[in-house]
Amino acid sequence: MSVATETPVAGIADAHKAGDWLLIATAVLLCVWVLLPIYLLIVNALSSPDQVTAFPKRFFPSFDLGSLSFFINFAGVARALWNSVIVATLTMILAIGFGAPAGYALSRFDFPGKGTFRFLVLMTRAFPLPLLALPLAVMFIRTGLDDTAIGLALVHTTLALPFAVLITFSLFSCIPVELEEAAWTLGCTRWQAFRKVILPLALPGIAASAVFAFTISWNEVFAAAVLTIENRTLTAFLLQSLGESPLYLKFAGGAALVVPALIFIFAVRKYLFAMWGIANR
Amino acid sequence: MMRALKILAGAALALSVAGGAQAQQVLFWSTQARPVEETQKMRDEVLKGFEGAVDYQVAEDGPWLTRLQAELQAGSGTIGLLGGLHGDFSTVGANLVDLSAVDVGGVKVNEAYKKLGMLGTGEQKYMPWMQATYLMAANKQALQYLPAGTDLNTITYDQLIEWSKTIAEKTGSPKFGFPAGPKGLKHRFFEGFLYPSYTGSMVTKFRSAEAETAWNKFKELWQYTNPNSTNYAFMQEPLLSGEVWVAFDHVARLADAFNKKPDDFVAFPAPAGPAGRGFMPVVAGVAIPKTSPDQEKAKALVAYMLKPETQIATLKATNFFPVVDVKLPDDMPASVKAFGPAIATMTSAPDALPALLPMGLGDLGGKFNQVYTDSFERIVLGGEDVHGVLEQQAAALKAIIDQAKAPCWAPDKPSEGACPVE
Repeated sequence: MSVATETPVAGIADAHKAGDWLLIATAVLLCVWVLLPIYLLIVNALSSPDQVTAFPKRFFPSFDLGSLSFFINFAGVARALWNSVIVATLTMILAIGFGAPAGYALSRFDFPGKGTFRFLVLMTRAFPLPLLALPLAVMFIRTGLDDTAIGLALVHTTLALPFAVLITFSLFSCIPVELEEAAWTLGCTRWQAFRKVILPLALPGIAASAVFAFTISWNEVFAAAVLTIENRTLTAFLLQSLGESPLYLKFAGGAALVVPALIFIFAVRKYLFAMWGIANR
Repeated sequence: MMRALKILAGAALALSVAGGAQAQQVLFWSTQARPVEETQKMRDEVLKGFEGAVDYQVAEDGPWLTRLQAELQAGSGTIGLLGGLHGDFSTVGANLVDLSAVDVGGVKVNEAYKKLGMLGTGEQKYMPWMQATYLMAANKQALQYLPAGTDLNTITYDQLIEWSKTIAEKTGSPKFGFPAGPKGLKHRFFEGFLYPSYTGSMVTKFRSAEAETAWNKFKELWQYTNPNSTNYAFMQEPLLSGEVWVAFDHVARLADAFNKKPDDFVAFPAPAGPAGRGFMPVVAGVAIPKTSPDQEKAKALVAYMLKPETQIATLKATNFFPVVDVKLPDDMPASVKAFGPAIATMTSAPDALPALLPMGLGDLGGKFNQVYTDSFERIVLGGEDVHGVLEQQAAALKAIIDQAKAPCWAPDKPSEGACPVE
């Protein structure tokens, strides 16, 4: 009561200060939320087996590479990593190849059943993969797609497509249609206008949704475990084995899974921020 | 950045078209030896000696079965050989190739397990591959109190009770130990050892007069059991510290005691009751699905897995014991040397009565175990009336079995539909 009546100015300043503190605290909390598990993962991956089970934890790892080198030498890891990259890249291409035109159509054209289409696109996420995996695998074996990167990429594409469509839809919706119309009046065909005017504006966002497709594929386990055997992806390959492995190998395997994805995200972070930038405009 | 992506994309497309060519090797699709170190050893030490190349791939139970079913439905497959526990095979029995014609040379495969591998048909649906189980262990100091005429290899529950009683009276404190702690495997003892030994059944005769006898006997044994038992999870620790002289547990939970003090302990079979020597084997087998691309080669691999050398290598890789007659070499860990003969004696005893891990319960397995644990807590710890408790717990058991619609498994006789609780 007394504070409010004395000096309103001081009250506002206090509120500002409190707000700043809240902001900083939230930022710190979020950073810790994200970074602490990664930090623990890396420290434990770089420690010797004894240190992993010991307590208290060391702040700096001892750079014991035993666990990690076991992984690198574990038969098939390099191949699985390579498979993961191929499948994720194919997924990325397919998801954008199909998703971006769909997103463009949704934002520019009115057609019957548009609302239903948007809803149906999301519906593909409603079916649990373990349920679909059996009939899919049967079909893949019959058609020869079984155990190929392209076959798995097709499945991952259906998972990534809803996001690709909806993200690109919001991207194209944010680019004024007048820009396109201006290009048409200046003699561009519809395709030229898209390529020369719209695409450069939308490219960062498209790249971001491609990254998103990449990570969806990278993280998917069940379909990968059922639909591929020789050409397992890294996630399927490791998760099959890691669940029952000793703790130090779990950490090493976790690091082997997380670090490539982190590097990739770091490399394309610019485009990720661009996605939000455009979407907020 | 975009250029890098383009290059990557091009490479990916090119590879996805070109890839796929693989050397002709047998794909060994297994739910066992999943920890990476065991997988590695299976590949490097166990399977390397096979003439045709083997690709040993592990999968969790879900993907393992889904993949197999997909290949069976599609009518063509890449899986050459399956590896799994008895329960893994029970659902796909009709689609497995008869292995009775496989030439295993002079190797003598455990008959009881071969019979299990028939899955109740006339065909050898899977071939036993390796095993683990539960055993008894005793401190050598306890041997002087053995009742006259008792042979550890043919010990009975009555003798065990008398022995524990003598030890308790002579040393002044109860020294039988039992893993009855929250993390202990006590439910397996009741399901796979006590019940079969007294009733010849795990489920059907849950509330029979024989079951009441069994519980009363166990109550008697409990008087000479270290009261700390309700805290024990791994019996190797109290054995090492000397708190407990005679104990029952899973081999993996006894091993440390034998490895740390090899000269102090003996391992011996679980006791026998009026209905036989009930014990719970954990049996893994190998099988060939009908869609296996090269059945002859797969059969050769089955024979290879049963060779004594392979069985020993498998033991070193996975800590699962051989299912064939084999003399273990001298360089094995002390626990293996102690357990090997005890397991062989128990599984091939004339009164051996294998009781399988519960099958077909799916995620109700935990509730099933709880029925036995609750009965133990109410009867033995709570001192409630045996008859009344069994009546109530039988109702709970029946509800679980009916919900899962699980047919009977050994030692209960095969049933049409859900296994009955009489």
